[in-house]
Amino acid sequence: MKRNSFIVIIIVLVLAGLLGMWTGKFGAARSARAAAAEQVYVAPGEHDKYYGFLSGGQSGSVFVVGIPSGRLLREVPVFEPRAAYGYALHANDPQRQLLDRTGGAWGDTHHPVLSEKGGLYDGRFLWVNDLANGRLARIRLDYFETDSIIKIPNLQGAHGIAAVSPDTKYIVVNGEFEQPADGLVTNPAPYTSVVAFVDAVSMEVKFEVEVPGNIDIADTSKDGRHAFSTIYNLEQGRDMGSMIQFDRDALAAIDIPAAEAAVAAGKGRVRNGVPILFPDENPGVLTLVPVPKNPHGVNVTPDGRYVMASGKLSPTVTIVDTKTLKIVAEPEVGLGPLHTTFDNRGNAYTSLFLDSQVVKWNIDKAVSGAADYIVDRINVHYNIGHLQAVGGESMAPTGDYLLALNKLSKDQYLPVGPDLPENQEIIDISGEKMKMLASFPTPPEPHDAVFCPAKILAPKVKQVYATAGNAVEAGKESVVRTGPDTVTVRMSMIRSAYTPDHFEVREGDTITFTLTNVETIRDMIHGFALPDHNLHVALPPGATKTITIEAGKPGVYWYYCTNFCSALHLEMRGRMVVQPKDSTITLSDWKSGQNVTGPVPGVPSTGAQQ
Amino acid sequence: MKRSADRWLFLSAAILTAASLALPLWDFRMSAPQYPDEALHIRVTRAGLAGDLQEVDTLQQYVGVRFPTDLPELDWVTRAIAILAALLALGAAVRRGMAATAIRIATAALLLAFLVASLVTLQARIYQVGHERDADAPITAVKDFTPPAIGPAKVGNFTVWSYPHLGAIVLSLAAALAVVGASRPLRVGRSGRRQKRFHAQEVVL
Repeated sequence: MKRNSFIVIIIVLVLAGLLGMWTGKFGAARSARAAAAEQVYVAPGEHDKYYGFLSGGQSGSVFVVGIPSGRLLREVPVFEPRAAYGYALHANDPQRQLLDRTGGAWGDTHHPVLSEKGGLYDGRFLWVNDLANGRLARIRLDYFETDSIIKIPNLQGAHGIAAVSPDTKYIVVNGEFEQPADGLVTNPAPYTSVVAFVDAVSMEVKFEVEVPGNIDIADTSKDGRHAFSTIYNLEQGRDMGSMIQFDRDALAAIDIPAAEAAVAAGKGRVRNGVPILFPDENPGVLTLVPVPKNPHGVNVTPDGRYVMASGKLSPTVTIVDTKTLKIVAEPEVGLGPLHTTFDNRGNAYTSLFLDSQVVKWNIDKAVSGAADYIVDRINVHYNIGHLQAVGGESMAPTGDYLLALNKLSKDQYLPVGPDLPENQEIIDISGEKMKMLASFPTPPEPHDAVFCPAKILAPKVKQVYATAGNAVEAGKESVVRTGPDTVTVRMSMIRSAYTPDHFEVREGDTITFTLTNVETIRDMIHGFALPDHNLHVALPPGATKTITIEAGKPGVYWYYCTNFCSALHLEMRGRMVVQPKDSTITLSDWKSGQNVTGPVPGVPSTGAQQ
Repeated sequence: MKRSADRWLFLSAAILTAASLALPLWDFRMSAPQYPDEALHIRVTRAGLAGDLQEVDTLQQYVGVRFPTDLPELDWVTRAIAILAALLALGAAVRRGMAATAIRIATAALLLAFLVASLVTLQARIYQVGHERDADAPITAVKDFTPPAIGPAKVGNFTVWSYPHLGAIVLSLAAALAVVGASRPLRVGRSGRRQKRFHAQEVVL
């Protein structure tokens, strides 16, 4: 009897233990969850340690998240209109016109890169590419807004980009999609592509270097000597099957000082205003290091000694000495190695697309040929593409967190229809073994990420705009008819009113708005939404925006504030009255609210308010 | 204490009083949940109100509070401070005798009276701000209020702290110095009389 009770107790305990392990709610499993949660928990009111910048992929933007919490802080619109920020929405919006002029109102952002000073992030700028339309954009990080977009000539498929270390002299942009070498579609000669060198400050394309095949991912040596790119399809095939014939493709190394000297000596052939260097005419500019076929990621170690090409189709990473450009090792790491990043203790972390793993391996051991260079593996969910350890691209990796940017999420979140969220996973890399901490979903589709310490960037961030030259001053607003069909409206906004809160125009009039938010305190943003005119502007404190639209059908249109501002937010609105084209009612004096009748003046008014 | 100490005290008081002309006099610190680490300030200076005027003005439209823009008392404050500084300097200049004592006592008394009068005027103005409000104010929740001239008060979602700024602190310091300087002859006189009585008792014994 006694013996039976004992057995029953044992069975109950074992079942309870199994249940605990299965649900993760008890014992060791529970405390592991609690420890992981604590590491990514940022209490309300506290701040994250790092800014994380994730490319938005086909969202055409950059997502800003806090690390380690994974909380979305901001989306910075770049290549696509965003009504929320009043960005590039209306066809006459200057930002929209810039997009239309350079390649269209959508983009495919892949690689965010930060400006560096002395090999360390200085928190000034972030660049991101538009693969689809061959563009490069720059975001100023004091305002977190796009300040420059350029179309890169002679190039299609702007894929890999990198900031040239250590002081960001150029942004390197790789042209992935090969083009006829002379730029003419009638030329049956082999297609080639170019690497463009863009001046980081002026955003001018200084020169380009022709490279055979398809130019993929970019990085640079830490001393600014070489720009490295992985190249696939040296076969110059035009369909998938013929792109994977050769055993080896290449790691391309462009000698930047040699290229600059050749350009200065007039060796470049100018096409579309940009000198292009052809390697066969300029020996010493381009070196091709043979690596297993169709490689993908290229990453330079933080100490600048090695450049690594990840194998993709080959289970290896090829380690090349950055000084001699000789292969020093080619360790096997797993299936589908795509990208490699680094900690501050001599370890590399490679994403394994097919294995859905991150593999941690020791660089010195791999180079010396030791058998035990693999340190750890961790499963990710699923089909990881890029991965980035904090500071892994700079000369000062921090060795604390790593972000896995997975291509598929499958079962990881509540189902939301067939188009599932993308899945980012935060991994603790501070110990010998990697630890999965947390995941966070995003809209499609971050490719790559980069991190900036909050203590560097946060003090540089402005929260109120400096007053622009054309800003509308409170008390000096005006509505002026400047011609038979043109009206200018200079309007200010502050809680909880627009001034003027009423103006009249005629159907078809061209109205030029200059709108200023005259608030002086942070986070007091006012929107200006004008129904049925495809117009929405969002103005942070101090900001001014000028936009020209055409007055629509006769009627009364209430413009209103979209950004919740105050106790009288709903009351913050005004009227645009559109009179019929043949109306003889002239613009009313918006200050008195009285309509002035009489013949329509056909000449510009000189009054401050008419 | 040497007699010349009084003159130094008065000279310091004169300099401090003159310096207060260049400093803000009073501060109202307004904090609310939506202004973390950035409380709003309205400072009283000789030239009028200064500080976050636009923001406070923007907020006032909801509760109907109006800050006075015309403050004629600031003119007599300026004149009074200038005159007091001159009197304090005179108190420092006159070396000794009944005239010096009289000037010093009178000046210290005037300075104290000025401070009390200023405080009373300030409190009256605060009462006016809290009571002469716009009857059509959209937010009806805020009732009439009277914050103290020195101390905290709750107005709507704001906590308003009223306290002296550098100018008033410097003036108070000057007043303290002037009072010490003016009262010393009196204190010396009293202790002197006590000593005499003590001597007399000895003689009796």
